[in-house]
Order: sequence, then structure tokens, then C-alpha cells
Amino acid sequence: MANQLLEIKDLDVYYGDVQILRSVSMHVEEGTIVAIVGANGAGKTTLLKTISGLIKSRQGEILLAGEPLHTLGPKGIVDKGVIQVPEGRRLFSSLTIYENLRLGAYIPRSRPLFNQSLEKVFTLFPILKDRQNQKAGSLSGGEQQMLAIARAVMAQPRLLMLDEPSLGLSPILVRTIFQLITTLNEHKTTILLVEQNIHQTLKIAHHAFVLRIGRIVMDGTGSELLANDNIWKDYIGARQVKG
Amino acid sequence: MHFIQALVNGILFGTTYGIAAIGLSLIFGTMRIIFLAQGTFIVFFAYVVYFLFTLLGIDPYIALVIVIPIALLLGWLMYYSIFKEAAALEDRNISLLLAVGLMYLVENIMLVAWTADPRSIVTPYTGLVFRPFEIVIPFTKLIALIIALVSTAGVYFFLKKTLIGTAVRAASEDMVSTTLMGINPNFVNAVAFAIGIGLAGISGVAFASIFPFDPGYGFTFAIKALIALALGGIGNVAGALLGGILLGVIESLASFYVGGGWADAISYGVFILVLSLRPQGITGKALKKA
Repeated sequence: MANQLLEIKDLDVYYGDVQILRSVSMHVEEGTIVAIVGANGAGKTTLLKTISGLIKSRQGEILLAGEPLHTLGPKGIVDKGVIQVPEGRRLFSSLTIYENLRLGAYIPRSRPLFNQSLEKVFTLFPILKDRQNQKAGSLSGGEQQMLAIARAVMAQPRLLMLDEPSLGLSPILVRTIFQLITTLNEHKTTILLVEQNIHQTLKIAHHAFVLRIGRIVMDGTGSELLANDNIWKDYIGARQVKG
Repeated sequence: MHFIQALVNGILFGTTYGIAAIGLSLIFGTMRIIFLAQGTFIVFFAYVVYFLFTLLGIDPYIALVIVIPIALLLGWLMYYSIFKEAAALEDRNISLLLAVGLMYLVENIMLVAWTADPRSIVTPYTGLVFRPFEIVIPFTKLIALIIALVSTAGVYFFLKKTLIGTAVRAASEDMVSTTLMGINPNFVNAVAFAIGIGLAGISGVAFASIFPFDPGYGFTFAIKALIALALGGIGNVAGALLGGILLGVIESLASFYVGGGWADAISYGVFILVLSLRPQGITGKALKKA
């Protein structure tokens, strides 16, 4: 396989005695957008948290460019450039936008590039530039999601993981966010995207994995899965209204 | 005139509660515990200052130069040696119990080593008093006020202007998200502890140069700092200092108008009143409801 940035092999993850992920194997090729889709409770967020080291796996391997990640703690994983935008954004709402961005570039590999990253982020998100001294908590939902992504971009990620970035946003903003993900990818960022907005996700994903009750049940290119009626019926539930 | 004098006394002494409260506030921010041993460490550093003065002849204010680095280092080491494992647990009670245990351990070691006899520092300037507009301002209390204002400003600028300070504020808000920035939770906790104990060192200097003290005074002092914190609102440096000043003023007015014995009862009464009517403190913004 060509140039895998992230490889996951036979991953088993438990919450206490309950097994959440069962022998999950997947991969993310350098420079692509890879999506993980599936119903609520399929284990998508757990998978991202395990990659970030917030949850420890019981079995299996996670490799970044061939080097083990699963042996590192959350800080070690972030230091390698694997950056997660968590579900619900989790901004520092009492800090200003500028301060949030500054912490985004905290790790040693990105700190020296702060000014350069800031310029890039302000080009991508002009609204953040105008409001950089405002508290993050004063932003609207869509702006907060943009700040959450911008904060992750500040880290100069090798792998950017987005957990439900369109959650709770209006249809127009959802489109903006997906456009933005495509733009980031065109700027050479490799993206692992977890989404419930399946239609839009499969349209932009180079490759996608379908997760169902902790197992990968199918994978293929975005357009293959989009064309496959079974995935809606069998694995995800009712077909979504085209979003 | 008496009213103004009582007010001035309260303000002058309240600032010492205030810096202790800032220490509590920082440790609470990242660790989510009330560090009840804070007052005992203030007393401990008062002893350090006392011995530096009586044995080596080092002036209490010069001693700041020695006490501050020792206190910062002690806070840092104390976190990594005692609190690190407990801090990783979801149950905050373990860390709180450790703080209580530490308080009694240090207090009892001080009792054995240095006895329960009250100590005080008498310097050539201990009795020095200024009388602007016939208000009595003791020199040592004035210096305590200045020390408190300077340390508050120092902590404020550290938190606002430095990257590590920003990380400490971020951790006070959301430790998981802070971890996802690549910031080690132990590092921010240790920074908060170092500054918290550093402030205990500074309070110790201010305290030792004003009042007699003994090992048992620590717990009372921690509770006073807690009241100051509650009055000012948790998570707010300037609020904690103001809370301390407010407590100082309440105590001073209470002992002047009602009688010395009532000062503590009234300040605890105000504590209950404020927390029950305005749980976010007087200066604090509304807290999230459960």
C-alpha cells in the first residue's frame, strides 16, 4: 500500500468490561481525507480518543508512519503532530481567540512556526483575525467550530482528526465547514474525519470506513460507498435526506 | 475617625488573606481541590523567616529573596512527590484528603520541633508607625500591603502574558482539552502548586513581621483564605485579593464595633451568607448550574 501515514491493526478497546472496538483495522494514506462513518454509538469517537491516547487500547497497534503511537501518552502523541479537534469543540471560552490559537501551537514542533501558522489561519478564517482579542465564548456556534479547527491547524498537524465538526450547525454552515476541510486538504493536510453527516462526508472523502457496533464492516472510496445502497440500509439506518 | 481607622486596619491586614486566597484559587483551578494545607505552609514559612532572623540575623524582607525560590521549589516537588498520582484520578476527594493529611503532618512536625510557644519577630522597625491625617499606619502592615499588591500583579501578569500562564488558565477551564494541546497535566498542576506555595512563602514573610504565630494557626488561616476566596469568587486573581481585603475589613469593623470575640463568628456568618445567596462570590460571574 502506498505511503500510509496512519495504520491501525486489530485494535480492541474496552470501557471497563464492555468492549467498544473489536479488531478494528484501518489506514489513512498521506495527503488524503479519510472518513469514518457509522451510526450513533458505533465507536467512532472512541476510535479517535484511542488514537489520541485519551483511552488505552487492550490489543492491537496504532502506527504513525510506521512508528508506534499506542505506546505513547496523549502528550507524546500530540507532540508527533496527531491533533484532534474533539466533539463539542472544547474551546477555552474564557480565553481570547488569540490565546486559544497560541495554545494550539504549544507543542515544540509548531511553537517556532507560530507567526507563520497564525498568518495561514487568519487567511483561512478572516473573521478570527478581526476578533482575535474577543473571548472565544462570545463567538457563535459556527465561529466556535472554525476556531476549534483553526486552533488545531496552529499545531501544523501531520494528521488532523475531526470529531463531528458539523454537529449542531445550520445547513449553510455545514457546507462552509466541509468546504473548509477540502481546502485544508488541498493545503496538504491529511485528515481523518468522523461524521454523522454521511452524504456530505462521502462526497469529500477519498476513502471511508463504515463502523458498526465496534467493527469495520465495509470500506471503499467515498463515491463507491455513496453509490452502495446497502450501506444505508444495513449499517447506518435510514437513508439520510441529501444534506 | 474610628471607623476610618478600623477600615484602614482591615484593608492592611486583609491583603495578607488575599494573597493566601490567590494561592488557593490557583491550586483549585487546575487540581479542583481546596488546598487546606495552605495556611500551615504560611506558618511554616513564618518559622523559616523567624529562624533566618534570629539565628542568622537576616532581615525578614531581605529573607523574601531566599524564601520565594525555596517555596516555589517546595511546591513543585510536593506536587510531583505527593499529589501526582492522586491528581490523575477522577475522584477529587483523594487529593483533598492528601491536603488534609499534609496539613496535620506539617503542623505536628512543627509542634514537636518548635513547640507551641508563640514566636514573634522584633526588628528595629516593628514599632514604627506613620500617622497621616491622624490615622495610624504601622510600617510592617504597610509593607505587607505593598508585598500583596506586587505579588498579585506578578501572578496576574504571569497568567495573562506568558504562554505557561495561559496554559494554566486553560487547564483551569478544561484539562482534557488542554491535554489535547500537548500540554502535560502534571506540568500545569505543578506550576499551580509552585505558585500557590510560593505565595504561602510570601504570606509567611508578611505574617511573621506583623503577628505572633504558633503551629496551630495554620488551619484557621487556611479557612480565612477560603472565606476570602468565596467572597471574591473562585478563579479570579483580583477577586481573591478583594475578597481578602473585604474579609479583613469585616473582621476589623466587627471587632471594633461588636467586640474582638465576635470578629471570627461574624466573618464565618458572612461566609455562609454570601455562599448561600451569591455562590459565585461578590465579584465573580455566574457559575454554571448543575
